[in-house]
Amino acid sequence: MKKIVYLLVTLSLLLAACASPAQPTGEFDLNNWDSVLSAAKGQTVNWYIWGGSDSINAYVDNFYGKALKERYDITLNRVPLADTVDAVNQVLSEKQAGTDPGSVDLIWINGENFFTLKQADMLYKDWAQTIPNAKLVDWENPAINLDFGNPVDNQESPWSSAQFQFVYDSARMSADELPRSYAELKDWACANPGRFTYIAPGPGGFLGTRFAKGALYEVSGDARQWLNFDQALWDQHSPALWDYFNEMKPCLWRNGETYPKDESELVNLFANNEVDLSMTNDITGAGRWIADGRMPETARAFVFDNYMIGDFNYVAIPLNAPNKAAALVLANLLLEPEFQAAQILPENGFGLGYAIDVTRVTDPAALSALETAASKLGDAATPASDLAKSLVGDSAAEYQGVLEQDWLTFVLQK
Amino acid sequence: MKKILSYFLRFILYLILIAPLLLFIAYGFSTRWFFPAPFPTEWTTSTFDRALNDSRTLTGLRDGLTIAVIVSLLSLALALPAARAMGLRQFKGRQLAWLLLFLPTVVPPLAIGMGLNILFLQLGLAGTIFGVVLAHLIPTLPYTIFTLSSAFARYDENFEHQALALGASPLQIFVNVTLRMMTPSLVVATLFAFLISWSQYLLTLLIGGGKIITLPILLFAAASGGNPSTIGNQSLLFVLPPVLVIAFTARELMRHGEDIREQY
Repeated sequence: MKKIVYLLVTLSLLLAACASPAQPTGEFDLNNWDSVLSAAKGQTVNWYIWGGSDSINAYVDNFYGKALKERYDITLNRVPLADTVDAVNQVLSEKQAGTDPGSVDLIWINGENFFTLKQADMLYKDWAQTIPNAKLVDWENPAINLDFGNPVDNQESPWSSAQFQFVYDSARMSADELPRSYAELKDWACANPGRFTYIAPGPGGFLGTRFAKGALYEVSGDARQWLNFDQALWDQHSPALWDYFNEMKPCLWRNGETYPKDESELVNLFANNEVDLSMTNDITGAGRWIADGRMPETARAFVFDNYMIGDFNYVAIPLNAPNKAAALVLANLLLEPEFQAAQILPENGFGLGYAIDVTRVTDPAALSALETAASKLGDAATPASDLAKSLVGDSAAEYQGVLEQDWLTFVLQK
Repeated sequence: MKKILSYFLRFILYLILIAPLLLFIAYGFSTRWFFPAPFPTEWTTSTFDRALNDSRTLTGLRDGLTIAVIVSLLSLALALPAARAMGLRQFKGRQLAWLLLFLPTVVPPLAIGMGLNILFLQLGLAGTIFGVVLAHLIPTLPYTIFTLSSAFARYDENFEHQALALGASPLQIFVNVTLRMMTPSLVVATLFAFLISWSQYLLTLLIGGGKIITLPILLFAAASGGNPSTIGNQSLLFVLPPVLVIAFTARELMRHGEDIREQY
């Protein structure tokens, strides 16, 4: 018996010894990029990123992983998450435990999680506009310096852009049958009962919320008035919004008694021919879904004539990141024109748009690469001119919660 | 007639057991399988190749197995004395001891995990294999203790006394009498611990903090994307080790059962 105890003690000591010791944070001066590069040399950057798309995973490993290793001697450790909130919880736990250095170096973050970490004062500050490629970003654009209505405050750096679009199957429908406004969509849905549904607005149903906000813009006749939160404005226009959804409800898939809870469920309904329209945020339209084998090759994206909400997405560095220098190098690499051009090509599998302002790129070779890539979005994408014509910005963050809550009360439970 | 019915029922049983696996195979090796096609139309090994070429898959397999094996052995070592006391002895506070030992099965792992993560971060155990092993012991121990204590309840200590009277040392008694008589239950208890540890997602995620990647972490990340091909092949990789372990132990247990039958 004693022997077993000894064995166990030895075993646990061995295991504890196996645990890798925390890496020392390399010293660097943010204003001297060379010092960042030399501090980053040999580091491993732990990038916590949603891991639900094979093609995005492959793109991240093949493009950034390789370049980081070859150019900067940095190892990319992509940590696949089922939900970004897991990374946020990890950072918050580390804060509570006082762990510094922590374990997260970079997070592909959305507006809500950014707000949480910013409130907790757990974000690395004053870097996003200092990294070399920040000069390619139009920081004056409110769509960039506000994330979800919250000031970015130099605490996160953009990676790519997205715009709300619909997807149809060109083997089932022809382009001239497509609705081009929310009003036409309702008529179309009632002319084809059971063939349309939308993602339930709510946590996880982010595209559904975006769809509903577009409808709010159309019934109220203006997108810009929603930039600042105004309860009276909401009270004035929201009844018309719920009327719109309730009139559409009996025409929906399963009579609107149940809704797909996220993009993936809607894509499955669409691909399995239960409904005729799907939704996407990708600049390559249905391209990534086709590459992932989730949609038929005949899937195509389209937009209404107006009120298609677009925005940017970002990466952030936690305050206790163990390898900040490497995280900075990676955030800068994301904005490199070469990789911006690569990320929008449908065959590379990422599918989101540019975060940089192409007109700020001075290198002629890089500029032509960006322009060529933008013209090769593939058949499954919405034409760039249609996207630009229909583009509107997101509304103030407060509307998100109000809209999701009221939709449950006035539409789903009615 | 009765025989046909029994064959038929047996066939149905096997079908129910094997159907999910067949579905995983069909999805894992195909792409673009949409309604109304009754069978996959595009067979491919590309998602499988991608999973196998991703170093995370092999690391996940290796770390998951390492953790599960250590957890099974540790929980056995910890459960054996506890189960012996619970199964063979009557003492004051026995009910309370049962309650304490079973508490982890009713307290949600999220509540345990969040608090434990902060404690482990302070102790420097978070993000280590050892930390994850300790966390996995929480859900495994109640099951191993319960399995072993019910075996001890049927255990006759007089065999040990007899061995002692015949001059056996305590170690000899432990190895040749206790362990030998307990073998089938030990195997079942280890199996429980292995399966519970192998399929842990939440505790591994919270305590591992992204540094310890096991197959369930990859499986959940894939499931969040809803791609049936990826979920199919990840699930196949995930069920393979448990199926092998169960197949192996089932054979051992059957052999052991025959040994015992021969003795009596």
